[in-house]
Amino acid sequence: MSTTIDPPVATTAPPVQHTGRFGAVLNAVAPFAKIGMIVGGVLSVLGAFLPWVTFVLNEGAYPERASLNMFVEPFGVSGFRLHITLLGIAAIVIALLTVPAKHRIVRGLGIGVAAVALLNGIWITVEGGGLGAITAADGTIAFGAIVALIGGLVTVLAATSGGLEARPEWEWELPWWVEWILLLVIFALVLLLVAEVLTSGGQGGVVNPYAGVVFLSLLAALSGALSALSASGLLTWVGVVSERHRVFSVVVLLLCALALPFTGAGTEYWMTVASNIGVYAATAIGLNIVVGLAGLLDLGYVAFLGIGAFTAANLSGAAASAVGIHLPFLLVMVISAVVAGIFGAIVGSPTLRVRGDYLAIVTLAFGEIFVRSAQNNIAGLTGGANAIPNIPPVGVGGFQFNDSITIGALRLPSGVMYYVAIVLLVAFVMLVFGNLKNSRLGRAWIAIREDEDAASAMGIRTGPIKILAFLIGAMLAGLAGAFFAHKTAVVAYDSFRFLESVTLLAAVILGGMGTIPGAVLGASILFVLPEKLREFADYRLLLFGLALILIMRFRPQGIIADKHRKAELADDDPEDVAREGPGALPTEVK
Amino acid sequence: MAFLEVRDLVVAYGAIQAVRGVSFDVEQGQIVSLIGSNGAGKTTTLRTLSGLLRPVSGTISFDGEQIQKQPAHSILSRGMAHSPEGRRLFARMTVEENLRLGAYTRKDEEGIAKDMQRVYDLFPVLGERRGNKAGLFSGGEQQMLAIGRALMSRPKLLMLDEPSMGLSPIMTQLIFDTVKELRSEGTTVLLVEQNALAALGLSDRAYVIDLGRTTLSGTGHELLADPRVQEAYLGEGVGAE
Repeated sequence: MSTTIDPPVATTAPPVQHTGRFGAVLNAVAPFAKIGMIVGGVLSVLGAFLPWVTFVLNEGAYPERASLNMFVEPFGVSGFRLHITLLGIAAIVIALLTVPAKHRIVRGLGIGVAAVALLNGIWITVEGGGLGAITAADGTIAFGAIVALIGGLVTVLAATSGGLEARPEWEWELPWWVEWILLLVIFALVLLLVAEVLTSGGQGGVVNPYAGVVFLSLLAALSGALSALSASGLLTWVGVVSERHRVFSVVVLLLCALALPFTGAGTEYWMTVASNIGVYAATAIGLNIVVGLAGLLDLGYVAFLGIGAFTAANLSGAAASAVGIHLPFLLVMVISAVVAGIFGAIVGSPTLRVRGDYLAIVTLAFGEIFVRSAQNNIAGLTGGANAIPNIPPVGVGGFQFNDSITIGALRLPSGVMYYVAIVLLVAFVMLVFGNLKNSRLGRAWIAIREDEDAASAMGIRTGPIKILAFLIGAMLAGLAGAFFAHKTAVVAYDSFRFLESVTLLAAVILGGMGTIPGAVLGASILFVLPEKLREFADYRLLLFGLALILIMRFRPQGIIADKHRKAELADDDPEDVAREGPGALPTEVK
Repeated sequence: MAFLEVRDLVVAYGAIQAVRGVSFDVEQGQIVSLIGSNGAGKTTTLRTLSGLLRPVSGTISFDGEQIQKQPAHSILSRGMAHSPEGRRLFARMTVEENLRLGAYTRKDEEGIAKDMQRVYDLFPVLGERRGNKAGLFSGGEQQMLAIGRALMSRPKLLMLDEPSMGLSPIMTQLIFDTVKELRSEGTTVLLVEQNALAALGLSDRAYVIDLGRTTLSGTGHELLADPRVQEAYLGEGVGAE
């Protein structure tokens, strides 16, 4: 069996002329790019080993909050020093090697170092009262955070001055079984990584103020490592390989998702968090049909989740429900989806007359009408301020979904069955979305999004097709809502407020409009963050907003970009211009 | 009865009448032009013919049936395709995706593939770059794609709105040569143009639209020779070719 391995032609970088605001600086630094990257890496590692705070525990008259014991040992609780060390060493090693897209890779690593250092530095300063705060013994300042931050910035500057190469494209093709094993290993690693990220820092709350910062720090380190990997072209290659073994990849990914309870995340608490992420991920994918594919802005989308949830609550046999019947769960899901879908079509009908901003206002109003009606216990269906409590858990035979499971010596926490159910539900929703996107209907939606008039000149019946987007999107949210009602056992109007709609929309935009992994990733980030940042409840929305602004500034196409959207924004992103050709806007007259 | 017959068409945007009485005929197998200055109502007429706008009054009959109340998709499936003003391509989609959308109302995969090949034969540059995004193309190439996309519905009548807009004289010539070729293959073409000289040169019949009304009509050569047309649309002395 012959395997050809063609590494991309290693381009000996010609001296790059930088232009733009920092052009002069970059040109001045350029001759020292290699040295600079090494110096940056060394500074980063050095910073990781220097003290970050000089106070040692509360041995005296200190503010209680100064007990930041996680920063005492070199590799304390958070491991952020380990992350900086690893990123720094990787930067040094790659600076010395000859690899394609070297500068771009090192830049990614440098960004990671700088982000981790900045984040932890700020946290120490805010929480401990200053860099190094005060100690019983002396008042010295701890330089760790500053040195590591400088290290990271030097690395980024030097790497950028060396000229950022285009991402290499690898065309390796290995024997199929090698690729299968490789994919299996990669997906297993992804599973472990997901479990690690999910549980990092532990459960947020008053007793554990570290949760938020440890989680964010890990995210920062990971995004540095991932942007380096992406710069090396390896991520794209893995994508190509998994595309080649599509069915295999999908099956393995599904199995990996189902295996989460066997990892460190296999406790009741994390299963609940993961199930909630699942609910929002399914809803976000539904919203992605309306916003991402059909390009219709919906600001009241969470109402459909609410309609599904209240429908299910009323058919669950709960004592507080107005309808005193108890139907099997699967039937309840179908009914909830249909009811939500009907409301979706009603809300969607104004799309025949209003467009753009005006449609957004109509959907916003609908969301408000729903919340107010639910708050006022409309027709006795929503329980008003009392909500509908005590919704019985889903049961199959004598087994209740919130029981724990014991298989031999293995004891799985309660909530595992809900987790399994939501994984299957999300998989189903993804399947629906994937098939729709590539169908005739999907093409019609995308055409409407791109140019509604041109679409109707193509013979697309824009009216009914737009309503269909609302209808299907709402049905998917309704399904998720039925699940949500049974999982949380209480459905209250305040779970479906405007803020939730905005967060869902943010999840779709953040993750990448029109893509499935994007919606899931966006939903995960946006709904894990509040869990982790409980201690910062007051600042949560501020942090949230800042993060969104940063992402929109530096990666407007979202974390996982759709190929059509990418073209639109290509002008903003030099890498994409390199790939797509000069400027993606219609070129003028020949 | 003519293939396409438009009688006393009146179209309004709210209170403003853009078309105040347009009447013309298109015979099968002909190239017919509507010429006139900016804002005369040519584009509005075309958009009404293809069902994107509703007329206030007047009749449009195509192939013996009245279609003025039909929606766009049903007019398209009767065999009238419209390549809109400004080309209106799906800029972020590839050539192939654009052509596929042109065939949206059809379901015969084989025929679609065949017609796609025909478009590539007609415009080889599109075939060479079928995987490229339409937005990256030059104006002339985009116009080719716009015509190709309209042809994908296999129309009996092809309506082109300002195909020469923004194109160099050479590219305009190439586009008009293609239009003649389409006529020789049996497609009827209704052309809306500001470039009266080029349009009249190849038209079997032409109509002048002024302030929302059809004011003059004749064969292309008659209008080229008409002093009123020469003065208003061709500039002095240009028409005597």
